[in-house]
Amino acid sequence: MSQYFFQQLINGFSLGSLYALVAIGFSMIYGIVRLINFAHGDVVMIGAFSTLALVTAGVPWPIILVFVLAVGAVAGMSIEMVVFRSIRGASQVTGFIATLAVSITIQNSALMLLSGQPRNFLFPAFMRQRVGVGGVNASLTDIAIIVLTLILIGGLFLIVYRTRLGTAMRATAENLTAARLMGVAVNRTVLAAFAIGSALAAVAGFFWGGKFGQIDPLLGFVPGLKAFVACVIGGVGSIGGAMMGGYILGLAEVLFVGLLPQEYSGYRDTFVFLLLIVILLVRPSGLFVRQVEERA
Amino acid sequence: MLDVRDLNVFRGSTHVLKDVSFRVEEGELAALIGANGAGKSTTLLTLSGLLPPRSGTAVFTNDGEPLDLTRASSEKIVRAGLIQCPEGRQIFQSLSVSENLAMGAYTRRDRAGIKQSLEEVYELFPILAERANLHAGSLSGGEQMMLAIGRALLAQPRMLLLDEPSLGLAPLVVEKIFDVIARLKSTGVTIFLIEQNAAMALDIADVAYVMETGRIVLSGTGSELANNDRVRQSYLGVAA
Ligand SMILES: Nc1ncnc2c1ncn2[C@@H]1O[C@H](COP(=O)(O)OP(=O)(O)OP(=O)(O)O)[C@@H](O)[C@H]1O
Ligand SMILES: [Mg+2]
Repeated sequence: MSQYFFQQLINGFSLGSLYALVAIGFSMIYGIVRLINFAHGDVVMIGAFSTLALVTAGVPWPIILVFVLAVGAVAGMSIEMVVFRSIRGASQVTGFIATLAVSITIQNSALMLLSGQPRNFLFPAFMRQRVGVGGVNASLTDIAIIVLTLILIGGLFLIVYRTRLGTAMRATAENLTAARLMGVAVNRTVLAAFAIGSALAAVAGFFWGGKFGQIDPLLGFVPGLKAFVACVIGGVGSIGGAMMGGYILGLAEVLFVGLLPQEYSGYRDTFVFLLLIVILLVRPSGLFVRQVEERA
Repeated sequence: MLDVRDLNVFRGSTHVLKDVSFRVEEGELAALIGANGAGKSTTLLTLSGLLPPRSGTAVFTNDGEPLDLTRASSEKIVRAGLIQCPEGRQIFQSLSVSENLAMGAYTRRDRAGIKQSLEEVYELFPILAERANLHAGSLSGGEQMMLAIGRALLAQPRMLLLDEPSLGLAPLVVEKIFDVIARLKSTGVTIFLIEQNAAMALDIADVAYVMETGRIVLSGTGSELANNDRVRQSYLGVAA
């Protein structure tokens, strides 16, 4: 395998990891409240700035990671309690307007608090070195992003598919009324889904600065939108689908730019939305959603 | 065990339940029959804490401990032992059969007890044991009904609310379900049964109530109602 192609692959996987982290939470939240959370991307921004603040304060990296997970969880729970709880069962339009308002509020608060000036943000020097295996090499940052993301997603899958809380979350997502009849305190279950999903988005923010070198208060917009596209690719409401959608989108984007002639690279986002349109036309329920047939 | 008085429930702006009162004694099998849209399911949803009544009381007493169902959370009601097997089964299609049963035991923490209940349900419905790892959505209608009942049993009900368990099922399956209901009663579970199949319901009911447009219009023992002219005409399909 050529170094160039390998480099593109690693690049795609690490970008895909960020998209997957954001998309999974987006999908978990949609799955349980059936409303699109347009403020989800802004949790990425909150995670990025929390990381920057803690780095500046000299906190060790492993502790920063734990802290950022917690900040994301608190942000997600606040969004649930302040906005989603009062509009539960509302129409998509209501949800759209309400969460757009939250997103604008978060962005403008951040602009006032932090100014719109982008901040430089770099992982420590040793993270930027390259490690080689068998004639090819990759940056340690990308490898760390890929590996940590896989660990976090593995942990998430354990929670969702192997614990009592996870079973209750899936049950609540499918049928809220029936879950209540089982004695599930659905408010707590919904809160848990927001906490977990938003914690993952915040970790994407933790990685964001390290990968792109700069952060600003409006950085959440793009990952929020890409998460939406990833969810459509994978099937809205499916966690595994959102993860796959995130990876596919990251890889497709990077390979699009990397393998086509230079003059096409400006069409990267055009390509992403073209992909979205094609999937909506061909497989509107997503690539990975098994159609559960309902029998009488 | 259950004492409902002057319950009034609105859904949206529709006054659905009007001064509904009835009682179910411990160990009894009570049936509620009535036409489509009479308010039977609304009654059950109210008892499970899913619909707040406008006025009236509903008190569930288990082991001498009264619980006001009009104020309690659905979670607390389940913990008190009042379990509902809802209309249309409402099993969790995307979960496996065994996960559905685990959801039934959601409020319980006694591992040994849960395991024993699970074995009892598998004994009652061996097909569920065979299908334990399949998606519940892949079960046939009759199997889904068995799962819905099994799931309710895993909650260890002291009183079971059943909303039209025979709806849309083949006669053989209906018979099986009614067998199970009779067996549950014999083990001391109090049962409140809603049925379209009035003949079968009245046959096994100790007491029965008839609901018309949100009001209880008749009550009596199962056999009294089965011989009542009005019931025979309206619900048992007997010509006048
Ligand atoms: N979600 C709802 N919102 C508003 N009105 C409702 C709702 N669900 C039911 N109703 C109304 O409440 C009334 C009683 O409905 P309910 O489901 O309790 O009847 P039911 O006796 O269970 O009927 P069925 O035998 O068809 O199950 C009906 O007139 C129905 O139109
Ligand atoms: Mg009904």
